[in-house]
Amino acid sequence: MTQSTQRPGAVQGDASLSQKPPVGYEVYEVFVQPSQLEPHTHVGSVWAPSPEWAIQVARENFTRRGSAVNLWVVRRRDIAATPYEDEDFFAREFDRKYREVSGYSDNAQRWKRFKARAMSIEDVIHDVREG
Amino acid sequence: MTEALYTRFMERIERGEKIEATDWMPDDYRMLLLRLIHMHAVSEIMGAYPEKEWVPQAPTLRRKLSLMAKVQDEIGHGQLLLRVAEDLAAPLGRDRNDLMNDVITGRVKFHNVFHMEAPTWADAGIIGWLVDGAAIITQTALLDCSYGPYARVLKRICAEESFHMQHGESIILALAEGTNEQREMLQEALNRWWEALLFFFGPPEVTDSARKMMEYRIRSRTNEELRQKFLNRYIPRIRAVGLTIPDPKLHYDEAAQRWVYTEPDWERLGRMVRENTGPKSQERIGLRRRAHTEQSWVREALVRARQRQAV
Ligand SMILES: [Fe+2]
Ligand SMILES: [Fe+2]
Repeated sequence: MTQSTQRPGAVQGDASLSQKPPVGYEVYEVFVQPSQLEPHTHVGSVWAPSPEWAIQVARENFTRRGSAVNLWVVRRRDIAATPYEDEDFFAREFDRKYREVSGYSDNAQRWKRFKARAMSIEDVIHDVREG
Repeated sequence: MTEALYTRFMERIERGEKIEATDWMPDDYRMLLLRLIHMHAVSEIMGAYPEKEWVPQAPTLRRKLSLMAKVQDEIGHGQLLLRVAEDLAAPLGRDRNDLMNDVITGRVKFHNVFHMEAPTWADAGIIGWLVDGAAIITQTALLDCSYGPYARVLKRICAEESFHMQHGESIILALAEGTNEQREMLQEALNRWWEALLFFFGPPEVTDSARKMMEYRIRSRTNEELRQKFLNRYIPRIRAVGLTIPDPKLHYDEAAQRWVYTEPDWERLGRMVRENTGPKSQERIGLRRRAHTEQSWVREALVRARQRQAV
């Protein structure tokens, strides 16, 4: 309807276009759950006039490929977050190897001396599932 | 105060840290990023136009479906990038509407290739193969960008572009394997696009803003480096399918380790992008304007419905 005559070069401004947007559109953060055995993962954000529309737009933007069983949209202003500048918040004040499997890599050697094999949680899972 | 912030910012950049939307950043860092991402976003959207023209005319159902999927991806890329641009533009008091209006008023440029005509199905193939191929090179070169939100979105975009690459190759391979007429059509399409493809990477000289972007680690390669990567990768393939590159000067300079080519007409093509005077510029901007204005009532209705609900 507004496709009127245009001079070549930069396109003429149109008064009806410079109107401010309808207030009510805002940013929603989007979380996709790829399967029910996986948690919702943050994938990005959309600009939408309501949570319902945020879900529609999120589906178009983030689930064109791959699987999804659930979508969350959260108004960005409702999210509380840590500031990136506060590096101390996640500081590791000392070695935490004792919390991790890699902190016990000597076990395998020691089992060998007893003529037995070390085992891992993956072995157990496999055995219980398939065995 | 600002000086201390700037020093700290540059230390972070040099350590290879990512900058986030909520972090302090120098004004020129914000402006350089905004200009780049705004143009990138708008080019994704305007880039869908030449291809969507071919959706109703695609030769088979499978081609039609894959072309539609690609057009959806490109619009999707535009939306993801607009979100990144919006967060950069918010402190300047500008939002999505302003960024999209800039297309209609000619205040934001879009890539030269999307001002051009795509008169045959072979053009659709060349776009998928070589225009996307060139775009993939510029986009992968930005994957290590110092701005976190852009780098994250690019990761998703590049994953989808891998399909565009296969899609384009599949079309041109079918034509190259086809009849003489099909091969001729492909050659004519290449002749139409070659100069525009060289132009796509931008002028060889390193401008002030390009240098600044490298200092800020927004990008790490020059236009000419990227063009050479494109030529290295695609010239052998173009020749392999029996096509002739329409440039008698084109050859590889072994000593300099680079391709020598006839320069595109920087002046003419630059003016076309700046002033929107390409063969299809006005028509496509007109379509965008129509989409934007004819659907404004929908946007308003959605907001009003929401407000009524909230009461
Ligand atoms: Fe894209
Ligand atoms: Fe693409």
